[in-house]
Amino acid sequence: MTPTVSASGLSLRYGGTRALDEVSLRLTAGVTGLLGPNGAGKTTLLRVLATALPADQGAFTVLGHDPATARGRQEVRRRLGYLPQTPGFHPDFTAFEFVDYVAILKEITDRGARHREVRRVLDEVGLADVRGKRIRKLSGGMRQRVALAAALAGDPGFLVLDEPTVGLDPEQRMRFREMIAGAGEGRTVLLSTHQTEDVAMLCHRVIVMAGGRVRFEGTPAELTARAAGRVWSSTERDSGARAGWRTGTGSFRNVGDPPAGADLLEPTLEDGYLLTLDDAGAEVTA
Amino acid sequence: MPLMTRQLVLPVHRTVPWGTVGAAGAAGLLLAALTRAGETAEGLSLYLLRAAVLAFAVGLAFLLDDPARHTTAAVPTPRPVRIGLRVALAVPAAAAWWTVALLLVPPGVRPPVGDITLEAAAAVVLAVTGAAAAVRFSEVTRPGLPVAVGLLATAVLALLFWPGRWALFVPVEDERWAAAHDRWAVLLAGAVVLGVVCAVEPVRRRIRL
Amino acid sequence: MTTLVEKPAVSGTRNEPGGAFKAVLALTLFESRRLLTRIPVLLAFTVYIGWTVWRAGRAWGDYPALQDADRATQGAPMLVGLAVLLSVNQAALRSRRHGTERHFAVLVLPHWCRTVAHALSVAAAALVTAVCVAGQFGREAMRPGAIGQGSVAELLVGPLTVLLFGLAGLLVAGLVRSALVAPLLVVLFLFLFLFFSGLDYGGRWLLPAVEEATSNTLPSDLMGRPAAWHALYLAGLALLLGLVAVLVAGGRKPAVFAGAAGALALTLVGGVAQSAGDSPELVKARERATVHPEQVQSCVRRDGSTYCAFPEWGPRVGDWAAVVDRVRSLAGGSAHEQDVVVRQRVDARYGLSGDAALDPLKRPHEVTVGTQWGGNRVPEFSAAVAGVLIAGDEKAATSICDGRIVPLMWLAVGWESDPLDALRRVRLNDTVTGSDSVLQPTNGLYMTEAQTEVLRALLDLPRAEAGARVEDRWDELTAPKITAARAAGLLGLPAPEGEDKCLS
Repeated sequence: MTPTVSASGLSLRYGGTRALDEVSLRLTAGVTGLLGPNGAGKTTLLRVLATALPADQGAFTVLGHDPATARGRQEVRRRLGYLPQTPGFHPDFTAFEFVDYVAILKEITDRGARHREVRRVLDEVGLADVRGKRIRKLSGGMRQRVALAAALAGDPGFLVLDEPTVGLDPEQRMRFREMIAGAGEGRTVLLSTHQTEDVAMLCHRVIVMAGGRVRFEGTPAELTARAAGRVWSSTERDSGARAGWRTGTGSFRNVGDPPAGADLLEPTLEDGYLLTLDDAGAEVTA
Repeated sequence: MPLMTRQLVLPVHRTVPWGTVGAAGAAGLLLAALTRAGETAEGLSLYLLRAAVLAFAVGLAFLLDDPARHTTAAVPTPRPVRIGLRVALAVPAAAAWWTVALLLVPPGVRPPVGDITLEAAAAVVLAVTGAAAAVRFSEVTRPGLPVAVGLLATAVLALLFWPGRWALFVPVEDERWAAAHDRWAVLLAGAVVLGVVCAVEPVRRRIRL
Repeated sequence: MTTLVEKPAVSGTRNEPGGAFKAVLALTLFESRRLLTRIPVLLAFTVYIGWTVWRAGRAWGDYPALQDADRATQGAPMLVGLAVLLSVNQAALRSRRHGTERHFAVLVLPHWCRTVAHALSVAAAALVTAVCVAGQFGREAMRPGAIGQGSVAELLVGPLTVLLFGLAGLLVAGLVRSALVAPLLVVLFLFLFLFFSGLDYGGRWLLPAVEEATSNTLPSDLMGRPAAWHALYLAGLALLLGLVAVLVAGGRKPAVFAGAAGALALTLVGGVAQSAGDSPELVKARERATVHPEQVQSCVRRDGSTYCAFPEWGPRVGDWAAVVDRVRSLAGGSAHEQDVVVRQRVDARYGLSGDAALDPLKRPHEVTVGTQWGGNRVPEFSAAVAGVLIAGDEKAATSICDGRIVPLMWLAVGWESDPLDALRRVRLNDTVTGSDSVLQPTNGLYMTEAQTEVLRALLDLPRAEAGARVEDRWDELTAPKITAARAAGLLGLPAPEGEDKCLS
């Protein structure tokens, strides 16, 4: 599949910290998950790819356009939907007005078409009933959906979502997964998250970042496979385990390098993610 | 683009913190109205008018406050248009405010209108330029308060320590009045240029080593 | 990924005695540190201290009167006060601005306790100001030439201004939850201050720092500034604002209500008492000090001369005697041995705002000295002494309008290390050529262009040579109606070319 977004050597410093360190990646249509601990550089990468923040070094293209020029950036932005980590709102606006406002800023100038589009995206995120309500009266989950609707307005080819499921209840998170999966049909979605289930259920590819670097890039199955043969169960806490906890059944579930003859378990995506991070941490300290 | 700008006018008008600007304007008018409070007050008309301008400029420092800044960070409508629209909406309001402020000063003690308007314009443009610079060089959504405090500090320090050979705050009867207003014009031009430069969103980041 | 389990440092439930009090104290320390490290506050303190240190070198010279030096500490802390107003307002609105109010609302410490901590942090800023004020005043008081006494009430005004402004900012944060109000308040304060300080009536005492228009130095008991009442008024007002801020924040305890009522009473008492005006006793005392200074002065004799000074100026007699000594040493004839009476005088009738000139004395060999010293006051006094030595009394000396000015001015400036500089300082327009007025503690003199030329020529001679020529021809030089040309001839100097016509 031809990549819709490709980046090479993206670097960015904040003072003395390297937020991004030679990041290279390729995104194709579908939902790509971006996993990483806090401070890994996920948000910075997303902001760079969303053209909200220029990188110090490196280059990238989105849908064939290079945002390193004013014209190229303009073209990228015409094809972009961005949901920031902490979206801001004008609390006096109604949900409809706010999305309409963003839609105008996205240069959708035909009034009738724009209003139809705003209604469509609000329907898509399930806010049809409250579109006349002021944002200050909406709950946190609803506000998040307003922000998603604003990102979806104008049918962007590239959607950047920064931790959209944070702070949502399980039912809302389910709905969000549904919406994101729907959005991923025919477009490129980059989804930053802490939830490994989100990635396991939604994404066809996953990127793991730590310390401003890409530590893994592949399919979720490949990430899970990293933990194959490295998860085992024991009756006592195993001192050799990188992590271990007592499960509901009473036995310990250990992740790490198993002793000989251990009772191996089926790994999950999370196991693969934890081991990738742990290897990355070991690499950094070494 | 013109069609889009027209359609943006109303929503942008609603995003402008008019309450803040209005409160500052009201405080400014109150100061200007003090010139009618007696003979001593009349003698202070220039200073009261300058205080009124400072109050209003403090309010305009909040003009670019935009809580939705990050949500609209990556839209195709460029930042100069977004900022320019806010400023364009504020200009008629500022002009109306200034007219009222001038009319509040008794005609006999009103400082030369053109020159004092130049001072007012420079102060107000400096405030908005400060906000634009804060938006340009930082990630804050509401630069208003720090910019307002900075403006006040600048005003106080300039009043106290501005070197006499480049005097700006001179009384009307001072012989340096004309020269001071040449300097105000330079200040205004500089602020406008700086403001325009700061309104542009950079494509590349300046590499900090 | 190894997880270390540590014991919690603090157990889940605590029940310490005085917990709330200690918590407020701890919060006060935290808020004080934050407040004192805000950029506006740091900037204000830097400017305040820098300005004070820079000005200390020039304002009072080496001979400060401490009853003036205390007042000089009052203006600059206003800058700190405005910065504290802004910063404490921002701090009090912090949790609202950043949306942590809902979280903090459920913590053990109620909202009003946080307000108390903010109020106490303002007090900390006032304390730092007090240290600065003490340093500034202490530096003046340590100068060897310092006389008089400062008033604690006047010194308190600076710190109280900071306290007042800061608590006003805190109260406003409780009343109007907008970040805009504090900056606007600063603008209003700045210019209302300007507005009211221009007015000269009792109302100006409602402002924190009350400046005086003139630089008249009075004995401290004749000042007539209700400084103590004013300090009480400021303290009461600050306390009132602080307690109302606590009330607004929800601290509606009986003690706070009672405190606020007490603070209001203090404010009213101070406010009314400070605008009472001058008492009849003060008016009488000022009259006496002005018209009959001898009734309140004590006199000492030095080398035959008598020096009469207001009690606080006793230490200054030595400085005056040194000048009299030097002037006499340059004089010839009987003037060389003539004893004088130095009488300190001041016009105190109009208080500090008065700027009335003193009339010359008519008693023989009695010369006026003012209440200020150092800088230009020294050659001015020197000229007055020289005048009395030549003309016999001050009245006659200040009407000299002939060539006697040449020996007079020689006596006045000839002993200085840089006579030309002294001449420049003693003349009204700071000139050393042409005609100009010469300032004295009472009426001035007028020097014609010709007289100036002769004096300049005399000063150009070697000092001993010039002194000898003046002493040799003393009697002719000090004879009335002598012209500048004649004086030049007597002194063996070229005849002056300039105008020699007196103004009066």
